[in-house]
Amino acid sequence: MQAKKFLTGLSAAAMAVKMADVDVITSFPIRPYTGVMMVLSQMVANGELDAEFIHADGEHAQLSIAGAASAAGSRTFTGSSGVGVTFAMENYSPISGGRYPVQMLIADRTLDPPGDFGSEHTDALGCRDQGWLMGWAETPQEVFDNTLMFYRIGEDPRVRLPQFNCHDGYFVSHIPGEVQIPEQSQVDEFLPPYKPVNPLDPQNPVGHGPQIYSDQGPALEAMRANAMMASMPVIEEVVDDFGRIFGRKYPPFVEEYMTEDADFVFFISGAHAHTARYAVRHLREKGAKVGLVKIRFIRPWPTDDIAESLSKFNAVGVVETNTSFGIARGGGILGPEVCASLYDAPQRPLIASFMAGLGGEAITLDDFYFMAKKLSNIAESGRLEKAVYWMGFEE
Amino acid sequence: MRDYTVKIPKEKLLPEAGIVKSPLPNSEQPDMITGGWRILRPVIDKEKCTMCKTCWIFCPDGSIEITENEVRVNLKYCKGCGICANVCPVGAIDRVPELDFDDVPVRLEKLF
Amino acid sequence: METQRVEKIRLDPIKNLLKVPVDEYYVPGHRTCAGCGPALNYRLVAKAAGKDTIFVGPTGCMYVANTSYLCVPWAVPWIHAQITNGGGVGSGIAAAYEARIRKGKYKGKFPNVIVMAGEGGASDVGLQSLSGAMYRNHDFLYICYDNESYANTGIQTSPMTPYGARTTFTPPGPAVPEGKKLWPKDLARMIVCGHPSVQYVATASIGYPIDLMNKVRKALNREGAAFMHIHAPCPKGWGFPTDRTIEIAKLAIETGMWTLWEYENREYKINKETKKYKPVSQYLETQDRFSHLTAEHKAKIQNFVYQKLATLGIKVPAKAVAA
Repeated sequence: MQAKKFLTGLSAAAMAVKMADVDVITSFPIRPYTGVMMVLSQMVANGELDAEFIHADGEHAQLSIAGAASAAGSRTFTGSSGVGVTFAMENYSPISGGRYPVQMLIADRTLDPPGDFGSEHTDALGCRDQGWLMGWAETPQEVFDNTLMFYRIGEDPRVRLPQFNCHDGYFVSHIPGEVQIPEQSQVDEFLPPYKPVNPLDPQNPVGHGPQIYSDQGPALEAMRANAMMASMPVIEEVVDDFGRIFGRKYPPFVEEYMTEDADFVFFISGAHAHTARYAVRHLREKGAKVGLVKIRFIRPWPTDDIAESLSKFNAVGVVETNTSFGIARGGGILGPEVCASLYDAPQRPLIASFMAGLGGEAITLDDFYFMAKKLSNIAESGRLEKAVYWMGFEE
Repeated sequence: MRDYTVKIPKEKLLPEAGIVKSPLPNSEQPDMITGGWRILRPVIDKEKCTMCKTCWIFCPDGSIEITENEVRVNLKYCKGCGICANVCPVGAIDRVPELDFDDVPVRLEKLF
Repeated sequence: METQRVEKIRLDPIKNLLKVPVDEYYVPGHRTCAGCGPALNYRLVAKAAGKDTIFVGPTGCMYVANTSYLCVPWAVPWIHAQITNGGGVGSGIAAAYEARIRKGKYKGKFPNVIVMAGEGGASDVGLQSLSGAMYRNHDFLYICYDNESYANTGIQTSPMTPYGARTTFTPPGPAVPEGKKLWPKDLARMIVCGHPSVQYVATASIGYPIDLMNKVRKALNREGAAFMHIHAPCPKGWGFPTDRTIEIAKLAIETGMWTLWEYENREYKINKETKKYKPVSQYLETQDRFSHLTAEHKAKIQNFVYQKLATLGIKVPAKAVAA
């Protein structure tokens, strides 16, 4: 019997970490993710969770300790936000290349300068090339579910990769929502104990990470690329199994919402999809042929699923809650990846990017209505007025 | 769905994640043989040697072997640093030019 | 964090050279320089620690030179760390074993966890990581092998490089006659003074291998964090012939440029009394990195040595005079 609770995203994550019987947790405070560590420390203090709760000397240390604990055979958990995520960056490639399935919760936050606690996805997206799985949760329920699913996917012997478990700072981390908490027996059935491969153990001595000569580089990189791609069928298996055990069936990569006969769609990742759903319903009531396509995994980027989905429409509005100054087409990070996915498709929609929610601002219903108007014009006229719109600065 | 995997031929495969097996204790590491570095070879005078083990403890490469009745240099790995000769309390070790020995790779077989 | 301790293997003190264990856990076949002090240090530490050991190797000579290419010379588990995080990686391994043993997920003894960091990683770019690990008092041993430069990248200055040493970042010239102007940190005493939970801190030298190995064993036998700072002369970086590594290590002790001490039970103990210190110039003259120094520079170094010895409670003359 699943119990229904009203939890913030951070509390939901902590609950999932507890039920996953994590062995080592590394903490360091930074807004807005800190709450997950506060809840976990209380759980450890109460004896509800038996884990080493380490006070790391900074985010770089959090990742160093977590990666090493995983190398020595532990299921590990860490997290951060904003410049904490970028401070730890030296460690991301060593951890993914070492194939240590650490899970890092990112309650995302705008990068400095200056200090801005509000949500933007740039902190995590800036690390998308480091070989970790990465995806955003839209609600506290999805945070709880992703926490369990990401461990299962990342620890799978065919994959063995670390995971960035992301959600929007404040919108998801701090605003409570309904979360079905399963029975421990259900979690145990879904997520077996971690079986490390060649951990650091004097009973079976191995060396992790010797220096290589450059001619040894290509094979190691190709093997890591294959591990990332091998995660795709595993993701499909895991969402099926999750649905079977917990009764919530997620699409593996791409969710389509009210797209049946849509002319144009919003393409989005994360919390603002929640508002987008209301906007889509309201617009549909007024006769607009609009839909929503939500992406669940940024890495591995589901090229074929996106091509198949988006090629059905005449116009796509990529909602970008991130920045990448000087990037191709001048918008955000998702736009070029969407364009690349569609490059070989027989039918390609017109694509416009909408820079929205920057700095942690809400993306309002009015914002979505504005985007819909622009997309409707694009779909009808068959022409782009321009490739990028900056919400709040448009007429 | 396209296949994105890289086909790596078996002979080009490397250990997954670059994790390698450790050598056994008291064995050797065959992927870095260093005897060819030597310019001066240590030669131990068995008459003078007192088996005190000083040369053995100070060899950075573990290339001095002590058995029941002799002290021997592991010529496969010895780099010829000369620490053994420097620390020997009775001066039993000489450093002799490597090319003066018969067992070096390049040797003049006969005159012209 | 209080835990139910699982017995670690207890290591007995080594009485003399003939009683040193013969098993090698750092086997021949590594790309370290001929006469490399840090390599000898590794061999001695591995020998003292034995087979229930996991080494952590932050980037540096003892990483790159030892593992070139895609191979390892340790007969015990080993993992690479970044130069910035030896303390963190050691902490993670210790924490993993605490959790796994306590939760019944690992059946075996708690291993010796030893970080082997160059002094660049320990005193400079990895200092925060070292301090964090000492503060948290994980059950592990952090060894700083000190060859007095960032050696692996081609001999650049580190905070442990002595005043007046030539490195490729502190070359002497008319504008900077002494080469290196800055005085080195005192890393071992930083650890003592700043981390009250740490019960064992010691200096050692490869010139005194029995003392070194016994200190390693003492540190490993204790529960909690321990720190050792080991002097390991470097023929390439210091500019001396490869056969004189041990001779120079001993000369450092005899001139006071290095001192063997232990901090245990909240007390300092000098391990090797030197009745009459030789003048530092005898040490400086053996190494090319000091060949540009004038008598005035050497007098400054002599005074610095006297001050350091005095803080350890060793009687020294009042002040040096330029010869």
